[in-house]
This record gives sequence, C-alpha cells and structure tokens, in this order.
Amino acid sequence: MDIWRVVDELVCTRRVPGLGAASLRVLRGQKGEISVATDPVGVPAGKWVFTTVGSAARLAMPDPTVQTDLTICGIIDQWEEE
Amino acid sequence: MKIMRVEKTLVSTNRIDAFGHRPLLVVQDKPGGPRSVAVDAVGCIPGDWVICVGSSAAREAAGSKDYPSDLTIVGIIDHWNPEGA
Repeated sequence: MDIWRVVDELVCTRRVPGLGAASLRVLRGQKGEISVATDPVGVPAGKWVFTTVGSAARLAMPDPTVQTDLTICGIIDQWEEE
Repeated sequence: MKIMRVEKTLVSTNRIDAFGHRPLLVVQDKPGGPRSVAVDAVGCIPGDWVICVGSSAAREAAGSKDYPSDLTIVGIIDHWNPEGA
C-alpha cells in the first residue's frame, strides 16, 4: 500500500456505468507522480492517505463491482514529508 | 487510475479475436511522453483528458471479465489543467 497526498477532487461527468457514482480524487505520490483514486472515505484536499492497488482496490470499495484499480483506504493522522 | 490525454485513434485490422471490434486509442501521460494503447469504453475524441484504469477493472470495463485489456478508458475529465497538477 502506498502513501499519497490528496491534491483535489476530480469531476468526471461522462464515465462508464461500471464506475458508478464513485467519488474521485487526484493524488500526488512521494516522487511527484499523479494518479486518480476512488474515495470511499470522503477525503478533503491536502490530507495524506494510504491506498491499495489492483483487484484489492475493488474489494476496498463498499461495492466491489466498481471498476477501479486504486482506492483510498484511510486518512493518515500525522505524516511528515521527507 | 492514470490521467492521460487522447492523441489519436489506433487502427488495427488484424487483431486477436478476443479484442473484438472495440475502438483502440493512443494515449499519452503528458504531451511528448511515452505512448500507450487503451481500449475506449466511453467514446472520446483526440484531445480529451481521460482517466484510464488497469488491473481486473480494465478487463471488466472493456466489456467482460475475459477481455484481454490492461488499460481501459473509463471517464472523460470535465476540466483539467495539466500545469496545475
């Protein structure tokens, strides 16, 4: 599982039905890389979170049929960037 | 999921049966970056910023659990500023 910082919400009106109404977040990794994750938690921008990838990401959603490969699992209470 | 930009359509007449007639698109991480091929499950046009999914979700989003895709476009981003990210 990886550590990311939430950059922003992502608005995506036109999407496949399989993505449902899942909330999306733009994440920045520790090397500056950008990714998008589904968010079952409701994380505001600026928070540090940890995520799970692959098929485990689908199990992490309340509805495992949602077609995602990266899901936020939780907000990290305290994290110091190196 | 990765944010990518659609560059152009990819024509491939001679393909394995499992791919069917699904449209394929050339996508880029960033302009000038390395190119990848993605299955289009939404219906986008060149220039669109999209989100691409991998893993088992890519297979299912492309049509079925057996579809041999490892990169599928699942949504078009309403507004995206590539410099702002």
